[in-house]
Amino acid sequence: MISLYLEQTSYLHRMPAGIKLLGMAALSLALYPIGQVSILFGLALLTLLIYASLGRPALQGLKVFRSLVPIFALIFIMQAWSVGVYEACALLLRMGTLILIANLITLTTKMDDMMTAMMPLFSPLRLFGVDPKRIAFAVTLLIRFIPVLMGVTQHLLDAWKSRGGGRQLWKLAIPLTIQSIRLSDHVAEALASRGGIRSVKKP
Amino acid sequence: MTQSMSQAKGICFHNVTLVRNGRTVIDQLSLELSEPRIGLIGHNGSGKSSLLRLINGLLPVNAGQISVFGQNPSSGPEKMSSHVGFIFQNPDHQIIFPTVEEELCFGLINQGLSKSTALEKVMTLLSEQGRCDWAKRPIHSLSDGQKQWVCIVSIILMNPKVILLDEPFSALDLPTRYQLLSLLHDLPQQIIMISHELDSFTDFDRIIWLEQGKVRQDGPSDEILKAYYADAKGVNPR
Amino acid sequence: MQDKSLVQIALYAALIAALGLIPPVPFVTGIPITAQTLGVMLAGIMLGPWRGALSMALFIFVVALGAPLLSGGRGGLGVFVGPTAGFAIGFPFAAFATGYAALLLRKLPTFPATLLASILGGIIVLYVFGITGFKLVTGRDWLDAAKIMMVFIPGDIVKAVIAAAVAQAVVKGLPDAVYTRR
Repeated sequence: MISLYLEQTSYLHRMPAGIKLLGMAALSLALYPIGQVSILFGLALLTLLIYASLGRPALQGLKVFRSLVPIFALIFIMQAWSVGVYEACALLLRMGTLILIANLITLTTKMDDMMTAMMPLFSPLRLFGVDPKRIAFAVTLLIRFIPVLMGVTQHLLDAWKSRGGGRQLWKLAIPLTIQSIRLSDHVAEALASRGGIRSVKKP
Repeated sequence: MTQSMSQAKGICFHNVTLVRNGRTVIDQLSLELSEPRIGLIGHNGSGKSSLLRLINGLLPVNAGQISVFGQNPSSGPEKMSSHVGFIFQNPDHQIIFPTVEEELCFGLINQGLSKSTALEKVMTLLSEQGRCDWAKRPIHSLSDGQKQWVCIVSIILMNPKVILLDEPFSALDLPTRYQLLSLLHDLPQQIIMISHELDSFTDFDRIIWLEQGKVRQDGPSDEILKAYYADAKGVNPR
Repeated sequence: MQDKSLVQIALYAALIAALGLIPPVPFVTGIPITAQTLGVMLAGIMLGPWRGALSMALFIFVVALGAPLLSGGRGGLGVFVGPTAGFAIGFPFAAFATGYAALLLRKLPTFPATLLASILGGIIVLYVFGITGFKLVTGRDWLDAAKIMMVFIPGDIVKAVIAAAVAQAVVKGLPDAVYTRR
């Protein structure tokens, strides 16, 4: 399944998703006014210790943050130059810790549970006649068709390369778009042929 | 709709015409489809797929009437789904859910079953088919043949009166095709199938050969298939 | 077929995820151009403002649920507290603006209409969100935040041109499919 969720059990996994989300919101507010590098460094270290307590897969999951390195470097340089190195360190630590904590929730919460926890946020949509269950259905459809479209993309990439390709990879976006539009026509037909999304409205 | 038509059992076309993008795809077609196994053949663009889509209301007629077990398909495919099951060419176009279990439950829940009853039915069928371990499998881990099996089973579970299949085996290897054919063979439902693999029509009762939206030939399977082969090879001049 | 819009919204969001799979092409500023923001511009053009915005909202929602769908495999709640959070949150608004502008410019030929719409929605509107987010997360003032973001602009202009080229090609290939060009 495409998810960052770690398939294991831990104290964090057992904690209800709603509590974790509220906890993160509270922490981010609490972190904001802290300016001392020593405290922030301690907190960052503590967060990393929690990662370590979850084991190797959690630590390996940190790899995805490599792509943030350039922008972090940029921010550091700007901040160090205009305010000072100390403030730059504080900013980076605060930002980094918050991202790590948020990611921790993602690693330890199943997408289903996360969705259930977030669903109350959508209840105001009822006022506009939108059934939140339709949102759940859309999420399901999206998750189902990501591997399909990624497969199409991979085929197009392979065909592109095997014909000599080149750097103008963006041209793949044309057949990819056309194929997904066709696909959505087919899927809508198949969905209607099996009774539509009525079920989701009245179970 | 005339009285005689709505009382007729099965599927009736009366002077049906369908125009798509300015082209007449089905041309004043009148048919009565009551045999248990009916095959549709014809060249690409002859109107076969459109004919199937008229039966379950995916396409609305421009003229004429259709009656499907006394119902008018113009009420829409969603309404027709309890009588008419539809299997498409590409399983990836019709599977909606990420796991086999959810996919199979979907149609049943649509028919008003509770989630737990639906799941029970699905598990019974899976165990009958010796595939209990399939329930939690992610769809994207299945082969094309296995996906098409899921599609067919999801329709069987809904227990329609007729199952329409639009080139269901195009992408499948020979053993998989025979496996699915034998699954279809034993079903009590009426089956109307389009296929380019003509040996799929062994023991079909009737073959309808369409050309430019009209019936070119219609009759018992051996006879029509022979004529179709001969025509495709250019033996018979038109 | 009452659920067609919903299917379109969901599949378009899946397309955006698939676009994240196309390897980024390094650009002169050293910052790689990913195909994903290209998809944001295209969402508004292909689906129109409302459905385009909804498909982006769905995409971002599923990213928040923990699916690593942003290019580079990023995802989860971390995205929404990082310095580029504003961009992710701005996706639906950018798609809406692009779609709305493309509808207003319908009288123009496809290429210039979709190019202008992409610049307006996919760059100007998106950057208003991006810069605001950056400012909130880093605490820098507007001008500094805007200056840092400038490094991305050249790449995004190239993307707007590409989005227009893609839109033009799709209009040719499937004339009815592009909502804002029907």
